[in-house]
Amino acid sequence: MEYVVIQSINALVFAVILLMSGLGLTVVMSLMNFINLAHGSLVLLGSYVAVFWLAIGAPWYLAFPAAFLSGAVAGAVLDRFPFRLFYARTHLMQVLLTFGLSVVFADLMRWGFGAGVATPRLPDVLRGVVFILDTPFPVYRLFVLGAGALLALGLWYLFDRTIWGAVVRACVVDRGAVESLGINTQHVFTLVLALACGLGALSGALGSGIMAAYPGLDEEVLILAFIVVVVGGLGSFSGLALSSLVLGFAMTFSKMIDPEFSNLMSLGAAAAILIVRPNGLVAPVTRQV
Amino acid sequence: MKPFAPLAALAALAALPLLGVPDYHLRLIAEVLIYGVAVMSLDLLIGFGGLVSLGHAAFFGVGAYAAALFATHVSAEILLVVPVAVLSAMAAALVMGALVVRSANLFLLILTLLLSQMVWEVVFRWRAVTGGADGFRGIPELALTLPGGHLALGGPVALYALAALLAVAATVLARSFIEAPAGRALIGTREQPLRMTALGYSVPRIRLTAFVVSAAIAGAAGALYPFVNQYVGPQVAHWTTSASLFIMLVLGGVATLYGGYVGAAIYLGFQTYISSYTERWQLVIGLLFVATVLFVPGGLGRSLKSLAASFRPQGSGAAVAGAEKRRVP
Amino acid sequence: MLGRGIGRRGFLASSAALAAGAAVSGPLAGRALAQAGRDELKIGLLTSLSGPFAALGESMRTGLQLHLQGVGGSLAGRPVRLIVEDDHAKPEEGVRKVRKLLTQDGVDIVCGVVHSGVALSIRDVLASANALTFISNGSANNLARKAASRFIFRPTKTNWMLGSTAGTWAAEKISKKNAITIAADYAAGREYVEDFIGAYKAGGGQVARQMWTPFGTTDFAPLLTDIAMAKPDLVYCFFAGSDAVRFLQQWQDYRLAGRIPLIGTGAVFDQEDVLPAVGPGIKGAVNAFHQSPTAPAPGAQAFVELYRKAHGRLPGEMSTSGYATGQVIAAAVDAVQGDLTNKDKVRDAVLALDLQTAYGPMRFDPANNQAILDVYINEVRVGSDGKPVNQVVHAYPKVSDPGDKA
Repeated sequence: MEYVVIQSINALVFAVILLMSGLGLTVVMSLMNFINLAHGSLVLLGSYVAVFWLAIGAPWYLAFPAAFLSGAVAGAVLDRFPFRLFYARTHLMQVLLTFGLSVVFADLMRWGFGAGVATPRLPDVLRGVVFILDTPFPVYRLFVLGAGALLALGLWYLFDRTIWGAVVRACVVDRGAVESLGINTQHVFTLVLALACGLGALSGALGSGIMAAYPGLDEEVLILAFIVVVVGGLGSFSGLALSSLVLGFAMTFSKMIDPEFSNLMSLGAAAAILIVRPNGLVAPVTRQV
Repeated sequence: MKPFAPLAALAALAALPLLGVPDYHLRLIAEVLIYGVAVMSLDLLIGFGGLVSLGHAAFFGVGAYAAALFATHVSAEILLVVPVAVLSAMAAALVMGALVVRSANLFLLILTLLLSQMVWEVVFRWRAVTGGADGFRGIPELALTLPGGHLALGGPVALYALAALLAVAATVLARSFIEAPAGRALIGTREQPLRMTALGYSVPRIRLTAFVVSAAIAGAAGALYPFVNQYVGPQVAHWTTSASLFIMLVLGGVATLYGGYVGAAIYLGFQTYISSYTERWQLVIGLLFVATVLFVPGGLGRSLKSLAASFRPQGSGAAVAGAEKRRVP
Repeated sequence: MLGRGIGRRGFLASSAALAAGAAVSGPLAGRALAQAGRDELKIGLLTSLSGPFAALGESMRTGLQLHLQGVGGSLAGRPVRLIVEDDHAKPEEGVRKVRKLLTQDGVDIVCGVVHSGVALSIRDVLASANALTFISNGSANNLARKAASRFIFRPTKTNWMLGSTAGTWAAEKISKKNAITIAADYAAGREYVEDFIGAYKAGGGQVARQMWTPFGTTDFAPLLTDIAMAKPDLVYCFFAGSDAVRFLQQWQDYRLAGRIPLIGTGAVFDQEDVLPAVGPGIKGAVNAFHQSPTAPAPGAQAFVELYRKAHGRLPGEMSTSGYATGQVIAAAVDAVQGDLTNKDKVRDAVLALDLQTAYGPMRFDPANNQAILDVYINEVRVGSDGKPVNQVVHAYPKVSDPGDKA
């Protein structure tokens, strides 16, 4: 019994990691109808920022805001060029542009940060263990679990319950109407993109304590994030949360049942969802490619 | 122009070995042609069907492994190997196509990715049959049984000739498919799926047909692939190979059949030659890709065509350019 | 567009075409020039400079370059031209590059190869060209067995040499019962575990469970929880690159470090590419390796000093492999006075070598051209600078792969 409990907590942590990786991606996809395949690069950037911040001995709790800021700045720059030109284009063109950019960023980061694996030097307060049912469980994972859940809740509140969130959602539906109210929608989009990129970098920073930072992480995270977001159904936080849980548990428990075939089982689970529900778990309407 | 073009291409391809192009380059061009055929088959799905799939490596890979396994365990007779590979790929397409018919856009993209990764997992884990991560070595040379005896088809010139034949045949087949009612219907489902359904066409069936035809061509290309390098590994069925095919397609030009060859030439050429000069070859390809998307979204192949067209006298040039112009997505 | 000349699209297209054309014809021209330098000894290094093994490939190149620098850039009086090619850690690309090295660049010697998959895929091309080859790292067992070839030499270990040594040590010194193995599920992982189990059982050991993780696993949590609950007497592991770093990191996170004896092989505890990222918390772990910065052999000590002076850190397997390959090639070329035309003579010279290399003493087995090396048991200790170091606690001398008798 305690075995199942511990593994369930493991699964929850992994689900939260998936959720965090998907948040940045779904914010732009749902709110700006923009597909950003450079998201993985931002996650990796955040990981490197966290690693370096912790390595130079600066206050650890500022590492995560620092990562967020770096992502947000990168996002603001990207919005200016070339993303802004592509908001009105089809999804396919956006995919192509951001994919090309992700290849460029990956190589630039490999050039700048080296090809090796970089692990963050976590502060002692985060390095301990907590005993759950007599089994040691790393504190850091619980930290990530808490941080991720808070993040998701905060975002949901921001977009669902605040005026600013309403403005953003209105921009997507009818940009002209919002403009006629005197609100600069260009600024809104820039802020949203910056927020999404910042989220990506933040998720990378938080995940770096578990997954380390290295060239290739961007690709791995992007694919996972994409699968989680699409399986959840676009345009819905609840869909993302649900699919993160489903996939997180599927990947964790399939590793327990038969680690060799765990990938096959997880892929199969995700595929099955998309076959049975072709528009994802929680399905709104999307624009044609 | 239409009947003339394939003959001209055939003549140009046939001339290359006669011009004394060295073996190493012949092999490279053979690979470019093989990939070009695979990319062209992907174009049928993406360019003409509007079905953006990231699962094409599954068909190419199934064809490659089927050919390698058949040649090793049964017979290396080319007239048997290629059909076996084609049929295997078509079978895979029947399954995948049936599962994805109800999906569109992003969901189709992800679902094809998931399904083809499952194929990769099987290839990777079924060590006993496929050699797993090590890949498949020791593949015998292809041979052709003639009334007089065997003709070994392992040398670079033979492989090149096979690849060239494949390319021409595949292009002719693809073009006839596009111009046949089935192909026209496919383009219809890309443009106006609702209207097609209202007219009584079965959109799922048309899409499934497209998958099967496209997979058949990809399978044929896959059939030759193991014999070029005398090796086939699970990488050939991995999603990153699907992504590479996609990149080649975009570089060459979506919805132009020959764009596949242009894209494959550029991508493989860069990958092989640029990486000899700099470690930053991926940066170069990435920048080229971004530049293409920003400035030449129709693909470089298409602009080669308009370059050629611009040298033609005004009248006929305008007609050609107008007729050939495809809507940029 | 038609009336205004070429226009922007046409320009881009024609430059692309020109670039492609130049790329194709450039090397053709280069070939003619290359034949001018007759005396030159051309060595082709095939390594991974991009992809998942980029750091490893760079280290290998560094090691070889260090050696060539040390001999003044020439062997037996012939100036050396080193041509480095990137196989992107992909077997197909490896085959392409090897063909390029052999036919276009006309290299006299091919060396390198980080990835076993690449080594296996290029084996046929090399064998049919009778190319003199020195595989610096691809350690798949098959290359010393069914895939061995007359002119392909391997101046490094086979997976068997490390896996079985670890198994012997574990049965003798750690525990004979209740062992768990955990490894990445791909060719190398499979070989390392099979060979460990073979030797462990021969020493009277019992394996309780084998765990396999998909290649590229990010989260070992469920498996580590399993291990913690199973309370085994020892855990044998194999991972490479980022998998190794993550596994060892998470091993510490789950408080298994120091509580359950951990033994590994090969790259899991690499001094240069893994230990620095993992930190001193992993002390006490043991690994079977043919390379160690504390190896007592004079050749190894000399190299460690040299590398530390040149790069400010202790060498790991990859840089050592590059250097050792250089040493073997240099010795062989010297033995035939720089004349590589008679390949059988070169082969005889290699098989007659008895060198002190950067690994330690090295000879070659005439049955399969495989190196015979001392395999060390390293224990990870914390150095005076607080950093983890592989300390040799035992050496198994002259371990040789059994070849086809395995």
